Amino acid sequence: MRTRFYVALFAAMLLAGSARLVAHHSFSAFNTETEKTITGTVNRFEWTNPHTWVWVDVTENGKTVTWGVEGMSPNYLSRRGWSKNTFKPGDKITLTVRPMRDGSPGGMFVRGILADGKPITFAATEQ
Amino acid sequence: MEGERVRGVQKVRWVRRVRALSVTVLAVVLAAAAVHAQNNFIYKAPTAADWAALAKLPDFSGVWEVGFGPAPGAARGAAPGAPPAGAAPPGPARGGAPRGGGAAAPGGGRGRGGGGPQLTPAAEARRKELQTQAANVQDSPAANCLPPGMPGIMGQPYPMEFLLTPGKVTIVIEAYQQVRHIYTDGRPLPEDPDPKFHGTSIGRWEGDTLVVDTVGFSPLTEIARYVPFSAKARIVERFRLTDPDTMSIETTITDPDVLTAPQVSTRSLRRHRNWTTAEYICEENNRNSVDSSGKAVIDLTLPAKK
Repeated sequence: MRTRFYVALFAAMLLAGSARLVAHHSFSAFNTETEKTITGTVNRFEWTNPHTWVWVDVTENGKTVTWGVEGMSPNYLSRRGWSKNTFKPGDKITLTVRPMRDGSPGGMFVRGILADGKPITFAATEQ
Repeated sequence: MEGERVRGVQKVRWVRRVRALSVTVLAVVLAAAAVHAQNNFIYKAPTAADWAALAKLPDFSGVWEVGFGPAPGAARGAAPGAPPAGAAPPGPARGGAPRGGGAAAPGGGRGRGGGGPQLTPAAEARRKELQTQAANVQDSPAANCLPPGMPGIMGQPYPMEFLLTPGKVTIVIEAYQQVRHIYTDGRPLPEDPDPKFHGTSIGRWEGDTLVVDTVGFSPLTEIARYVPFSAKARIVERFRLTDPDTMSIETTITDPDVLTAPQVSTRSLRRHRNWTTAEYICEENNRNSVDSSGKAVIDLTLPAKK
């Protein structure tokens, strides 16, 4: 019973996740109704406010495009298990994002799989 | 006869001028006195007794964050991959809290209560007008790192720290690196405050509850989406500890020109003894902006290698 309550609660939170991010700055350029998964190599990781950006070199059909993926702030994430070393240049990672509406190689982070195969979300573990 | 009448008229005019001048002078003097009382309130140098008296107040020290969802232990145990306890919807007005806001419900809309403001006919007409004006705008052009101001700033998913010193409570807010100054030294609220993002605040202790009274809000802040404050708006916040590491804040917004009933909401904050307040410079790397036409822009320029 209690478990079911939390499952429902987290489902609601997941759905509301993008709405929370909207509160910070403008996220209207992202299509929050769809997801896209990309796999590539970390080019660099900007551990900056107001939001983090991980840049990933993605090779599709022989062409390499660098994707920019936006995440929550270092302030928020550092209290939930992330650090400036969460993504290191050269890491092979997979990210699921809410992509740009105009098709540009960018998106908002939803979840990912780190170089060591571990899954990662904004939640991780609270410190 | 004619000359006498002219002199008489001139005399009446002269008397009127003196009267008018006196009234003006009196008004200026009174206004100056009022401004003096508000702006030049002399802060009494604290004594050792004043510092000692702080120890008798409730312990508000440390870093607090608005609590969301279940207790952290339960959150960790129940769903490890779940989004953060901070992903609660920003309030009843979906799809567009004001800049940085979440002010869809008073105080940021992350507390209980809310349910949307009950507006006067004039305020409802103004809300519709603003909403129509914004129809072709993806987001407010003011979204570019402007802080939300009151009441939204009190509901951000970032911590805040309370500093109690003699005659003052200072709230250091991590989001947008903001500070609220609450004077508890007995000074009055200004009668004609300048509009400010956080208004002008005074506070007093009612037993273990800090009661904060705030007036004078910037037109860039909102009670709720498309609901600006009038000059008559007032926010009363009641801060108290409900258990050793939980603080309750009850926020009541009154505004006779805008609201037909007070907007009351309650939220709770959790103390994190092992946290510190961190730097937050929004302009450091804000790639999410809104251009002058209201179009949301994402800057996808690869950063230079350092």
